[in-house]
Amino acid sequence: MSTLQIIANVWDKHLMTMRTIEHLQMFSIALLLSIIIGVTVGVFIYMKPKTANTVLNFLNIVETIPDLALIVLLLPILKLGAGPTIAACVLYSILPIARNTYTGLKGVDEQYTYVAHAIGMSPREALFKVRIPMSLPLIAGGIRIALVFCMGVVTLGGLVAAGGLGTVLQNGIQLYQKDVILIAGLWTGLLAVFLDGFAGIVEKKLHERYGTW
Amino acid sequence: MVILETVLEATWEHIVLVYTTLFVSIAVSIPLAFAALYSKKLEFVVMKFANLVQAVPSFAVVAIMVPLLGIGFTPAVVAIMLRALLPIIKNTYIGLSNVDPALIDYAEGIGLSQWQINIHIRLPNAYPAMFAGIKFAGILANSVAVLTAFIGSGGLGEIIFQGLIGYNTSTLLAGAIPAIMLAILIDLSFTMIEKKVTPGYMKG
Repeated sequence: MSTLQIIANVWDKHLMTMRTIEHLQMFSIALLLSIIIGVTVGVFIYMKPKTANTVLNFLNIVETIPDLALIVLLLPILKLGAGPTIAACVLYSILPIARNTYTGLKGVDEQYTYVAHAIGMSPREALFKVRIPMSLPLIAGGIRIALVFCMGVVTLGGLVAAGGLGTVLQNGIQLYQKDVILIAGLWTGLLAVFLDGFAGIVEKKLHERYGTW
Repeated sequence: MVILETVLEATWEHIVLVYTTLFVSIAVSIPLAFAALYSKKLEFVVMKFANLVQAVPSFAVVAIMVPLLGIGFTPAVVAIMLRALLPIIKNTYIGLSNVDPALIDYAEGIGLSQWQINIHIRLPNAYPAMFAGIKFAGILANSVAVLTAFIGSGGLGEIIFQGLIGYNTSTLLAGAIPAIMLAILIDLSFTMIEKKVTPGYMKG
C-alpha cells in the first residue's frame, strides 16, 4: 500500500473528517466565549483599576493549574462531554485576553483621549471609538495566545469523552497503532500551526492599521 | 478510596520527572542561547522553531513520541523537553541580547575577556528574563507531566487516569490537587533559586 492509501485508510476508519469538525466546533465555541469574557474582563478592570491587581493575580493562579487537572476538576460539576473542555479553555484564555486588553487600553496615548474629548465624544464613545480600536493589535495578540491554549486543551478533550482529534490520538495510543498516532498527531499539529499562522497574519495587519509603536 | 502512600509515591515520581526534564532543559538551553548570540542563523532557526512548536498541542507532541520512542520514562522526558526547552532558550536569548551595550563597553574597557563578559556581565543581567522563562517552562512541564502518564511515565497523571476510567471523583481529586500544588511549588522553588544566584549588587 502506498503512503497515501494508508493515510486515506486511517482517515476513513477513524472518522477523521467528523473528528476534525468536532474539534473545530469545540474550539470555535471556546474561543468565541473566551474573547467575549476576556475583553469584558479587560475593559472592566480598566474602568475599575483598583480591582485590576486582584483579578489578574487570581487569573494567574488559574493559569498554573495543569490543563488536564483543570478539566478533571470541572468533570464532577459539568459531567462528561464537551462541557468541561470548553469551560477549561475559557478559564485558561481569559488571562491572556484580559491582560492584553487591559495593557492595550492603558497604553493608549492620553493625547488621543484629549482629542476625543475636544471633538465632543462622551467617555463611553471615547472608549469604544478610540481606545478599543487603538488597542486592537494588543488584544489580537492576546487572542492569538488564547488560540494556542484552546487548541491544546481541546485536543485533551479526547481523554474525557469530549470528542475531537484527541479521541483519535487516544485510540491510537491505546491500540498501539503507530500509523494512526502519526497521522492524527501530525494533522492536529498542522492544524494548530496553520491557525496560529493565520492569527499571526491578522495580528500583523491590525498592527499596520492601528499600531502606533 | 486512594491510599495516601500511592499518592505520595506518584507525587514523588512526578517531581522526579518534572525536575529531571527541567534541569536537562536548562543545561541544554543556556549554551544554545549563548551560541545564538554569535550566530544569526542559529538565532533565526531557534526563534522560528520555538514559535512553531509552541503552537502544537501538548497531547499531539506526547502522542507522536509513542511511534518514535515507545513508551515509558524516556519518551516522556523528551516530550516534556520539547515543550520546556523553547521558552527557556527564547527568554535566555532575549535576556542575553538585551544587556545594556554600555555595560559591555565598560567590561571591555577594564580588560575582561569575551568569556568573562559572558559569565560576569551578560548572564547575571539576563537572570530576570531567564528565570521568567524557566518558571513558565516549569508550569508547562508540570502540566505535560500529568499527560505523559498516558504513555507510561507514572506520576500523578496515573491516578487521574485511574479516576477517569472508573469515573471516581475522589480518585480524580487525589491526582489533580497534588498536581496543582506542585505547580505552585515549582514556581516558588525557582523564585528561591533566582534569589540565591542573583548577585547582591543586582538586587534592589
